[in-house]
Amino acid sequence: MHPLLLLIWLGPLAGAVVLWAFGPQLRSLAGPIGSALVGVSFMAALSEWGSATLVDGSLEGVRQPLFAWLPQLAFGLQWDRISLVWTLIITGVGFLIHVYSIGYLAGDRAFARFFAYLNFFVFAMLTLVLSDNVVGLLVGWGLVGLASYLLIGYYIDRPSAVAASRKAFVINVVGDVGILYAVFVIVAKIGAIGYGDIFAKLTAFTPGELFIVCLALFVGAAAKSAQVPLHTWLPDAMEGPTPVSALIHAATMVTAGVYLIARFAPLWSASADARMLAGSIGALTAITGAILGCVQWDIKRILAYSTMSQIGYMIMAAGVGAYSAGILHFLTHACFKALLFLTAGIIIHNLGDEQDVRKMGGLRKQMPFAFAAMLVGVCAICGVPGFSGFFSKDDVLSATLAHGHPVMWFVGVVTAGLTAYYMGRMFLVTFFGAYRGNIDPSELGMRHPELAGTSQTAGRHPEEEEHAPAHAPAWLMSGPVAILMVPAVFIGWIAFGPNGGASAWTQFFAPVFPADVPVPGTPPDWVTSAIVLVLIVAGFGVAFLRYGNPRALLDAVPRLRIEAVRTPAILANAFYFDTAIDALFVKPAQAVGRWFGSVVDPRVIDAGVREASISANWLGHLFRSFETGLVRAYALTIAFGVACFAIYYVVIGVGR
Amino acid sequence: MIAPVEAYVTLSAILFFIGIVGVIARRNPLIQLMSIELLFNSANLALITFARSWGNNAGHIFAFLVITVAAAEAAIGLAIVVIVFRKTAFVDVDEVSTLKG
Repeated sequence: MHPLLLLIWLGPLAGAVVLWAFGPQLRSLAGPIGSALVGVSFMAALSEWGSATLVDGSLEGVRQPLFAWLPQLAFGLQWDRISLVWTLIITGVGFLIHVYSIGYLAGDRAFARFFAYLNFFVFAMLTLVLSDNVVGLLVGWGLVGLASYLLIGYYIDRPSAVAASRKAFVINVVGDVGILYAVFVIVAKIGAIGYGDIFAKLTAFTPGELFIVCLALFVGAAAKSAQVPLHTWLPDAMEGPTPVSALIHAATMVTAGVYLIARFAPLWSASADARMLAGSIGALTAITGAILGCVQWDIKRILAYSTMSQIGYMIMAAGVGAYSAGILHFLTHACFKALLFLTAGIIIHNLGDEQDVRKMGGLRKQMPFAFAAMLVGVCAICGVPGFSGFFSKDDVLSATLAHGHPVMWFVGVVTAGLTAYYMGRMFLVTFFGAYRGNIDPSELGMRHPELAGTSQTAGRHPEEEEHAPAHAPAWLMSGPVAILMVPAVFIGWIAFGPNGGASAWTQFFAPVFPADVPVPGTPPDWVTSAIVLVLIVAGFGVAFLRYGNPRALLDAVPRLRIEAVRTPAILANAFYFDTAIDALFVKPAQAVGRWFGSVVDPRVIDAGVREASISANWLGHLFRSFETGLVRAYALTIAFGVACFAIYYVVIGVGR
Repeated sequence: MIAPVEAYVTLSAILFFIGIVGVIARRNPLIQLMSIELLFNSANLALITFARSWGNNAGHIFAFLVITVAAAEAAIGLAIVVIVFRKTAFVDVDEVSTLKG
């Protein structure tokens, strides 16, 4: 029995229940309580580090059986290296973001509800990663979708937030159905749901079935991890409060797809088609997100597209079989992307909920702390040597090449250059030049109809203005950011193998995943690193020429307006993914609904009810006509009946 | 000499037919009540005929029962006729049709 495992898992649930039940009474205590429980969970996870890395025969880590839903449907916790990494990020980054939220949401009228949701999310995510079977995983998968829905729609009186939450939920349910289907196939073929049992009987699958299972799982992964073409909910999800974007839509939940592939590594390793599919979709997502990130103006949307792009990297790496590289990028990304989002949150908070980078500018002097934090985050995500992103991104790219996928490698390398460009663009537009907050929005090209959808600033709800003066100490927000700067810089070094030897990271995952065997003729890793470095410099250089050089800064306002107005329609509409999904699924579904409303409802259901009442009425009229009130007519009828009986018996009697 | 059973049954049928026609064709409730008495008695005649011919006394018992019921029926029927007459001043059953649908 491992009581600490239960504490890790159930601590946040207890927080959610308490805050839900007693939120109004606890008031401002809700934040500290919620944070403390996640912090306790993190400490417990740290102290259980040793048991996760135990190797006992073929079994790795520990299993904690808990209860059986049904015979053969036992639920338990699985505590191994993969769960450990995810749990540490979920609870560790989660704790910092909880603390940050105390400051960010200070004075909000639904303060306790926010923390209840946030704790509930942590619990759901822990269910997902700690479950030892696919059904538990599916339950966690659904619950994080619910938590995400609740938190995106946190500002319940803002219609765009409600619409975004609904969209996210619906697309995530598509993924849930994929995983549900995979569970069906697995149970039908193997009759077990535990990971160990499934992997022990993989030979029960034909290659075709294996691909089907992987495909169904990948649908789930793609929906949750915002992979093309199921990514459209992620940019809209930025309607949620910024800490939510940082925790759920950057650091943890959206990487559940990577977890899924890593957890089912034996399946993917056995199906080359599935690896090809996942790798290709990952690469496609990486470049799509990067391209779309280049034309966004909303700071959170830029970060959302960059998240999508980075998850594309992770899925690509995990998809082609370089699981540890994918997980490493998850680890570093969780740190630097949470840092970027929280820093963006500080800027947004200080500017009174302004999210459009065109209205920022020159913030370097106003907010030196945010400037420094953002600089670290940008360096990390671009992969500047020495920062965490450098190690993980190069690991991802060189592993992709080593697994024999030069096309994906090429796409990933180009994406790295684009990443440097759009992050540099965001950084320079935000922090350099002159402050543009008091310039008329139309001069910045902000009222352009095609861009209306990209600006989230239009519909601020009045509550926020009322509560704008935050009475929380500033360190609540800057503290977590400062702490996150440390791993954002240094955590990549765990994957640094001196002199080409095995790094701490590869040794850590050596018992779990098969070792990467490079295909013959793979160039050494430093070639990838060098090419990526050149592209990063080029990408940042272009961004600097366009947004950072002193001449460009002089006429920044007209330049920004021209760029906004001249954005190609295909990019302004995000490659028409939303339009296509609308035309293919939403519009037909609405048409079917309207058809049911205008045809089936009045002509089948209503008509049926009406016909029933009409025939009852008609039947009544028919019977009424018999009741003439003439006693003699009744007597005649009776006599006629008696006569019929008489004739009947006479005839029968004669017949006999 | 004893008449054959057929004769009694035929007489019973004739009485029954006369009674039916009286109930259906006449509109005076008193005539109708008398016709109903005719029906009862035709039935009594048939019961007793068959009872005697089969040597089974159940028919006699039924006949007594019918006589009793007929007495009660006549009493109630006449009472109703009197009440209706007081209310409507008509002695025509076709006029008493307020319960029609």
